[in-house]
Amino acid sequence: MRKKTGLHIGLILACALIILPPLWALRTSFVPESMSYSTELMPSFTLDNYRQLFERNNFLLFYRNSLIVAVCSVLLAMPFATATGYAFARFRTGGATARFVVLATQMLPPVALVLPAFALLRGAGLSNSLTGLIIVYAALNLPFLTWILMGFFEGIPVDLEWAAMTDGTTAWGAFWRVVLPISLPGLAAAAVLGFILAWNEFLFALVLSGPGTATIPVALAALQTSNGIQIGKVSAGVVMAILPLIIGSVFIQRFIVKGLTFGSVK
Amino acid sequence: MASIELDRVSKRYLDSLYSVKDIDLKIEDGEFVIFLGPSGCGKSTTLRMIAGLESISSGELRIGGRNMTNVSPRDRNIAVVFQSYALYPHMTVFQNLAFGLKMRGVNNTEIQRKVQEAAELLGLVALLDRKPGALSGGQRQRVALGRAIVREPQAFLLDEPLSNLDAQLRAEMRLELGRLHRRLGRTMIHVTHDQVEAMTMGDRICIMRDGRLIQAGPPLEVYANPADTFVARFLATPPMNLIAAHLQSDPGQAMSVKVDSQTRLYVPPRHFAAYQAHVGQPVILGVRAEDIYENRLNPDWQPIKVEVTALEALGAENILTGRLGNVEIAARLDRRFLPKIGDVVELYIDAEPMHLFAPDTGQVIARPAL
Repeated sequence: MRKKTGLHIGLILACALIILPPLWALRTSFVPESMSYSTELMPSFTLDNYRQLFERNNFLLFYRNSLIVAVCSVLLAMPFATATGYAFARFRTGGATARFVVLATQMLPPVALVLPAFALLRGAGLSNSLTGLIIVYAALNLPFLTWILMGFFEGIPVDLEWAAMTDGTTAWGAFWRVVLPISLPGLAAAAVLGFILAWNEFLFALVLSGPGTATIPVALAALQTSNGIQIGKVSAGVVMAILPLIIGSVFIQRFIVKGLTFGSVK
Repeated sequence: MASIELDRVSKRYLDSLYSVKDIDLKIEDGEFVIFLGPSGCGKSTTLRMIAGLESISSGELRIGGRNMTNVSPRDRNIAVVFQSYALYPHMTVFQNLAFGLKMRGVNNTEIQRKVQEAAELLGLVALLDRKPGALSGGQRQRVALGRAIVREPQAFLLDEPLSNLDAQLRAEMRLELGRLHRRLGRTMIHVTHDQVEAMTMGDRICIMRDGRLIQAGPPLEVYANPADTFVARFLATPPMNLIAAHLQSDPGQAMSVKVDSQTRLYVPPRHFAAYQAHVGQPVILGVRAEDIYENRLNPDWQPIKVEVTALEALGAENILTGRLGNVEIAARLDRRFLPKIGDVVELYIDAEPMHLFAPDTGQVIARPAL
């Protein structure tokens, strides 16, 4: 019994460690800036932080930018990731080398990629544009998404495609009519992960975007002014930034669970 | 309706490794053929090559007289039932059954009619709106069969379709498949590693090992005249007893197989001519478990002394394992014969159906069939 109590205390502490900072941000976002560091739990309630964030700091624009960039980069990357992942899972495309190279690109430090990316975008006239950012994010997330989808496709029995082909489809038809519909949970999970990665990305956004094309992480960093950190507004911004991720993770949970229980072929 | 001919068909990996080598086989129109062999023997690969799901490295495949070696699976008009059933999990039973017809551009009323017909034949009518996830194993099996039947293909290829079912359901489906074959009259190839299925279901069994076709023929004929020690052991439970021995001629024109100093078995006179050339050489003696008896009902049966090491009472019969000299043999005996472990019992061998095999190759030494 005592052992269990100890375990529970440990778990509660671990949970607190994770949940308290966002809770503190939530609390601070509703407290006037001047009382942010007060020891009271809720010294007073205000929506000023949010109002200022949207009115003075143009937060709506950055929010929109982030949404556009994250959604479009996922939409751009998914077809490529799906095709590559399927090819890796089913055929000997590129052998183990190609697979390793795809994974290896994820190990490069982002700093090593950001300057070449900047040079490329400038050459193409796409620096300071959302389009440029979308392309770069799609490229950055492609290996990761490919890897996830490859794993998912490998879990689908090849018998299903064989059955479809003897039933009269082409190889493409088997992919389109059988593999893709079955893979929807996996595709959705990968898409949400890709969205989160793009949504949270900071370094590339900082270098590749301009004042009108900044995303939320960059805008939040900009609240660190010469007058100090505007902690009330930062907190409000953090809360706004976390919101879609919470929604996304609920989705992901549902889809991944569905994905795992799918294998009921036999 | 179609015959299927394999002409030196091989499957090669990495240029030199064969998973199937030089299969020559002609399956007649409407025939029910069993591919039997241990796992990894190439039987499923052969089936997939016939279906067009694996490429043929060399040789030729003809279906209904037409060369199909490089024709895509959809144009072969063959149905495959997979071991995993491979039902489309996102479609209802109806959609699963209708898929093949839809892909072939059959119109909707026709699809309705045919699916209904197949569903009635297999007792699936009440399940048409369910998805595969909500079906039992036996029901999924039926849907997989129905999906094949509904298209009215030239031939059915069944890849271990019964191996995921429990014993009772498997026995039922065995009979049902046989009925289905008689009713549809189509060519069927059934891949299995189960000897009961092999013995009972097909017109002909093809035994494969290491990618090669070792023997093909009607089940009872193959059982009675195995081509080598592998077939001899594979096709029965308990497997045929194989005993290292020496063939010798005895005074007075007799011939016997000497197992050790105490045990010898006289060769029936009708086999003399066939075995004459091997006198004085080592041989492998093959005796089936059911050719050993606990009572001497026939004066020609020859006694042996066996020390009982195990006895499996199966209810209908007893499988006795015992030591004959220094080899273990198995005998299928009457259920009322219950010796104790350690007993030395006298059993009687009917030597008439025995076989001799060459020790180096394992090939049978040919003798006239009984």
